Order: sequence, then C-alpha cells, then structure tokens
Amino acid sequence: MGNEFDFLTHLPAIMPEIGLAILAIVVLGLDLFLPESRRRSIALVAGIGLAALALTPLLWGPPAVPTGIGPEEQNQVLLFWGGMVRHDVLAQVFKVMVLLAGAFTSLMSIDVNGIGRKGEFYLTIIVATLGASLMSAAADLIMIFVALETTTIPLYILAGFKRNDGRSAESGMKYFLFGSFMSAVMLYGLSLLYGFTGQTNIYALADFLTSPAFGENPVPVLGAMVLILVGFGFKISAVPFHFWTPDVYEGAPTPVTAYVSVASKAASFALLLRFLVAVFPADMMIGGAEIHGFWVQLAAVTAVITMTLGNVVALAQRNIKRLLAYSSIAQAGYTLIGLAAIGAQEQSVAAVAFYMFMYTFTNLLAFAVVVLFSEATGSETIADLAGLSRRSPWLALTMTIALLSLGGVPPAAGFFGKFFLFQAAVAADLTWLAIYGVLMSIIALYYYLVVVKVMYVDRSEDESKPIPMSRPYAWVLGVTSIAVLILGTVGAQVVFDWALANASTLFA
Amino acid sequence: MPTFDEFAPIGALLILSVVMVALITIISRLFGPYRPSLRKTAPYESGMKPIGPAVRRFPVRFYLIAVLFILFDIEVVFMLPWAVVFRQLGLFALIEMVIFIAILLVGYFYAWRKGALEWE
Amino acid sequence: MEFNIHSIVFLIFSVITLGGGLGTVTSRNLIHGAVYLIVSLFGVAGLFILLSAPFLAAIQVLVYIGAIAILIIFAVMLTRSMTRMTEIYNRQWSLSLVVSALLFVLLLVGIILPVWGPGTANAALQPSELVATTVDLGVAFVDGNQFVLPFEVASLLLTAAMIGAIVIARDRD
Repeated sequence: MGNEFDFLTHLPAIMPEIGLAILAIVVLGLDLFLPESRRRSIALVAGIGLAALALTPLLWGPPAVPTGIGPEEQNQVLLFWGGMVRHDVLAQVFKVMVLLAGAFTSLMSIDVNGIGRKGEFYLTIIVATLGASLMSAAADLIMIFVALETTTIPLYILAGFKRNDGRSAESGMKYFLFGSFMSAVMLYGLSLLYGFTGQTNIYALADFLTSPAFGENPVPVLGAMVLILVGFGFKISAVPFHFWTPDVYEGAPTPVTAYVSVASKAASFALLLRFLVAVFPADMMIGGAEIHGFWVQLAAVTAVITMTLGNVVALAQRNIKRLLAYSSIAQAGYTLIGLAAIGAQEQSVAAVAFYMFMYTFTNLLAFAVVVLFSEATGSETIADLAGLSRRSPWLALTMTIALLSLGGVPPAAGFFGKFFLFQAAVAADLTWLAIYGVLMSIIALYYYLVVVKVMYVDRSEDESKPIPMSRPYAWVLGVTSIAVLILGTVGAQVVFDWALANASTLFA
Repeated sequence: MPTFDEFAPIGALLILSVVMVALITIISRLFGPYRPSLRKTAPYESGMKPIGPAVRRFPVRFYLIAVLFILFDIEVVFMLPWAVVFRQLGLFALIEMVIFIAILLVGYFYAWRKGALEWE
Repeated sequence: MEFNIHSIVFLIFSVITLGGGLGTVTSRNLIHGAVYLIVSLFGVAGLFILLSAPFLAAIQVLVYIGAIAILIIFAVMLTRSMTRMTEIYNRQWSLSLVVSALLFVLLLVGIILPVWGPGTANAALQPSELVATTVDLGVAFVDGNQFVLPFEVASLLLTAAMIGAIVIARDRD
C-alpha cells in the first residue's frame, strides 16, 4: 500500500518522463497564449527542453549494482515502480537517444510550412518521446503495451499532421491501420503470455515458463512469441512487415519521417532486446524444444531477408525519402544481426546499442538536409539534388557525411557501427551472417554513392539559387555531423567499451 | 464460478425491458385501429412532412464531439475503480488521481480554448 | 462438464455474441451491421460476467456499446457514399475467408491445445487466484508498487489523443 512505498527513491528512474510531461504542458500553454508572430519560439523551447532533458538519464543514472550477486538481487536493485521499469544502462543509453532524436526533430521542424508554428506538433513529439523513453525501460507487460501505444498513437497523428496534404493524410491513415492491427496482434501475444503464467513482469515470466507447473508443451509459448515478434517486426520495419515503411516515410512531413526512422526504431530495438533476453533467455527449453534457439534463428533469417530486400529495392528509388526508407529497412536488417548474435552476450548488446546510437545521429543528419532542401525547392527527387555542392556546399558536405555513415565508410560512424555488429556475429559463431552483411553493405554503397555523385558531379540550372538555412538548422547539422565524425574516429572505441562494460546488467 | 445473485437486478431489468417493449407493441397492435396511409408511415418529424432523406452526409463536427466523448468516457472508466476504494487509500492515492485528472484537464482546456467544443 | 445454470447462461450469451457477429459481417447495410455489432458486444459483456469480471463487463457496456459503437455509426453517417451502399463491396471475400479460417485454426492450436492437449498440466493456476475485484483494481491503479506508472501515462496518452483528434478533425485552422 501507499504508505510503505517510498516515492522519492523511485523518482530518479522516471526523471526524463516527468520532465517530458511538464515540457508537454509548457509547450501547449505557449501554443495557446503566444501571439502568431512569436510562435516560432515554441520549436526552440521544445527542442532545447528536450536536449536538456537528454541529460537527465545521465544525471540520475541507474543505481550501482554490487558485483557477484544473482539475477534476483540484481532485479531488486534495478526494478522500480513495482517492476514497471528497469532503470539500467540499456534504458539509460536508449533514453538519451530518443530524447536527442526528439530535440533534433523539434529543431528541424521550426521552419517547415504547416507544422513549424503549431504547438500541438511539438506536444505530440514530446508525448511520443515520453513513450519511447518508457519503452527503453519497460519491464512489465502492461507497461510495455502502454509505452508502445504512447509512442505510436502520437506518431499516427504526426504522420497525418498536414491534413490538407493528401499524401500526409494517406500516410497517417496507412500508418494507423497497419499499426493498430499490429498492436492488436502483439497485444494478443502479450495477453497469451499473461494467461499462461499469471505474471506481468517480464523478469518473472521465464522462471514460470520453464517450471514444471507450466508443463511440457512448447507450442503455445512459440505461438505467443511469434505474435509478439510480428508486432516488433512492424515497429522496426523488418521484412515481411516493412510494407508500410516507404509509403509512410514518403507521405509524412519530413521531420516526422526522421523521428519515426530513429526514435521509434531505437526504442523498439531496446525493448525487443530486453524482452527477448528476459523472457526467452539463453538455453531456454520447454518440452525439448529450444525456445531461445528459435528466436535467435528467426532473427538471423529475418536479418538476411530484411537486408536483401531493403538494399535491392533501394537501388531503384528516385525519391530521396523513399530511398532513405528502404535504407532504414536495410539498417534494421544489420541491427538484427546484432540481435541474432546474442550468443556473444555483452558484445551483442553493446554492438546494437552503438549501432542505434550512431544511426540516430546519421539519419537525423540526412533527414535534416532533406527537410532544408525540400522546403526550399519543393522537390524530393534525387535527380533534383544535382549541383547541390555548388548551391550549398555545407549541405552537400553534411549529406555526404550522413550517406557515407549509412554506407559504412570510414571516417563516418557507420563503419564502426557495422564493424562492431559483424564482430559480435563472428564471436557468436555466425560468421556466414557477418559475411553476408558485408556483401550487403557493398551493394548499399552503390545507391548511397549515386546520391553523392548527383550532388557533386551532376549540373543543374538552379545552381545559383542558394538554399536558405536558419540558425536552428545550422545547429542540428553541425552537432549531428560532428557526432557522426567523432563516433567514427576517436569516440568509437570509447563509447563501445563503455557500453560493453555496462551491458552485463541486462543478463540478469 | 460467480453467483448470479448480485446480477439479479440487472437481469430482472433486462427481462422487464424486453417484456415491456414486446407487450406495448403487441397491445397497441391488438387494440388500436390500424389504418396506414402514406403520410402516417413516413418517418416522424414533428408531424411535418420530412424535408429530405435522413441518410445523408453529416458534418465532421459530429465526429469531433464523438471522439471527445469517447476519451472522457474512458477517463471515467479509469476513475470508477478508484472511487470504489477511495476511502481506504489515503493521501497518496488522492494526489495520483489529481495528477491524472490535471493532465486530462490540460487537454480539456486546450479543446475549450481552441473552440473545439463550440458548434459554430 | 456438468450441465447447470451457468451452462445455459453461457449458451445464451454465446448465441447472442456469435449471432451478432454473423449479422455484422453478413448485413449489407452498414447501419444494420453496426447495430448487430452492438448485439455482439452485449453478448461479450455477458460472457465477462460469467468469467467473474464484472468490471470488464461494465467497461464493455460503457465504452464499447456506449461509445465505440456510437462512433462507428457516426463514421458511417459521415461518409456519404457508404450510407446507402447495399451491394457487397469486398471482392476478395474468398481470400479473407481463407485467412479467417487459418487464424481460427491458429487460435485452436494456440489456446485449445495447451489446455486440453497432451502432456500439459496447466492447472497450476487456479482461476480463483487470478480473479480480481473492482476494489483490487482501484488499489492497483494508485499503488506505487503496482500499476501507478502506466495509469498516469494513460492519462497523458488520452490527452495527446484528444489534441491529435482536434488537430486532425477540426474544420478550420
């Protein structure tokens, strides 16, 4: 009951969420009371507020876990709010990621026609970020579902935010229909797990499922797992649940596309990792069936088909947002390699976290350039990027950095991201998967470099027309490209080693 | 297995309402004169001639009102179990419910300020 | 299974639920379909009472019948062309029949098999342990050691949904 519950000890675990709730109300208040002429500052308040909140997971970090204690004791230290959230390093890292994604998205929306001056837009971003932040930490079936919905329902609204633009409305509608159906499928899987065990905490599920009380029948557990993985497959746009991605990415307002491709995906990977490791841990067997081995193999197969489809279809794209959509499908495929390499334990988790971390900056950078370009020219076609290097050298340079990072070329961060993933795959005896990943990266390089070629080699008649850039955009481009370069050079090993050293708390 | 005793009133009400409706329809059919004409069988609109078909497109405002209604409806559903045990719970529970309602009031205030609750 | 008053009530509510569902999918008039849906939802509420979940039954009536079904009828009225549509619009009904049948088999395998299938002793949890009263639910919503966090987040989600609905559906900016 309430009186034995010490509110203050549980507060640090949800510090970012409290801050986000307050920020949401502030932003809404600004929307209601600021005159039209000063509405531009709403974006600044939201962006700077989110960036400041990105510090909270670092300031109020997870409690120190004494070494050499068992999983039970470890969970006692790390679980908060009655087991709703687990305040550990995985949550910390991914919370920073989604908060930064929210901050950059807000800043890059500032001059976008139709959304930039609307407080509701930023409120919806902030609530989605709150959901994504909770997703990174959720450790309870109820919390998982509420966090997922708190992320996706605002995203449906955001995708259809330009309601007078037919493409945006279509995008929102498609996203909503697919998304709510997939949520229902996933909820069904979660409810089956609850039905089998009578437990909602994911760290209590595995024990029950393997106990004699549950019995020897693996079919229901596998069924529930598949249903849940279908839901996750949709969220991370893994093949064959990727079909919504290109249409939604193309139609949604570009900052929203950036946000969906980064925050939603990162938080989903965090949750997926936590969920699979906790509920179906290593060597889990029910009735002689390898439950753990099943999802590992499933992840490997999904990684292969996701990489293949994403990269091959990306080759044929003419629209830059569609190209980045298929590229993001392929990137999800690479990240799934890290998931399949869970046999390498800490190394796998650290590789996935590092990949998502660098991918956050990289994709935000690429989309920020697309936002600027399409706002200035009204075009999203790759061919129209011709002559960008003469039109706006900085824009072309930053876009090149982003594309090189996505393609995995040093000195951009993508190189180390892929390197750590493939290293983990080799460590987990999945050398074939690592080799396939390398092959796919080479194919991917082609379409990334085509864009670079268009920007630098091709000529166009508009080269004398500059692309206006206001200060918030300069900040977004500057910070993200510096982050990509640091993570691709001196920062890579430091960040990865830190993640490696702290990832062990996930394997309780 | 539940005992049905506590649902007996609801069941009784249910049966009663079905019986009542059936009874009224049958009695009026049995004892009332039944001489239909074109005007009499037309949809009832204050005794006047209908000005148009009822099946036509409605303005989107209705939808907005319906959505707001659903959201507040769900809000009430959340409050219901809390209200049942409110007296046993103490200050902490009260504060939590105040936070819950305060966040929703922000949305309500927004709807009000933006004129979503006004008809014209 | 012995045959008692519960079985009879269960039978009645099942017939209401399934009959309503059948009416919903076969009815060619959308408004009629929506009304059949209400019948079906009502049957589900009755099943919830049979399962000792009176609160869920109350939600079923309050939210699903009282709000969602009404919203569906509103949505039908908002779309001009759909109101008087009486012919079958879906040309892929045979495909959806196959998908529905497959899903049904999946449900059978997923639910019936673990309960009555071979080699399962799934009686470890007696239903009585899981039965929660409305009082338990009220406590769980506000107890820091239970579900207070999702509870508060839900209010934020509802607020965001409300604002989103206003943004998207308002007929002027």
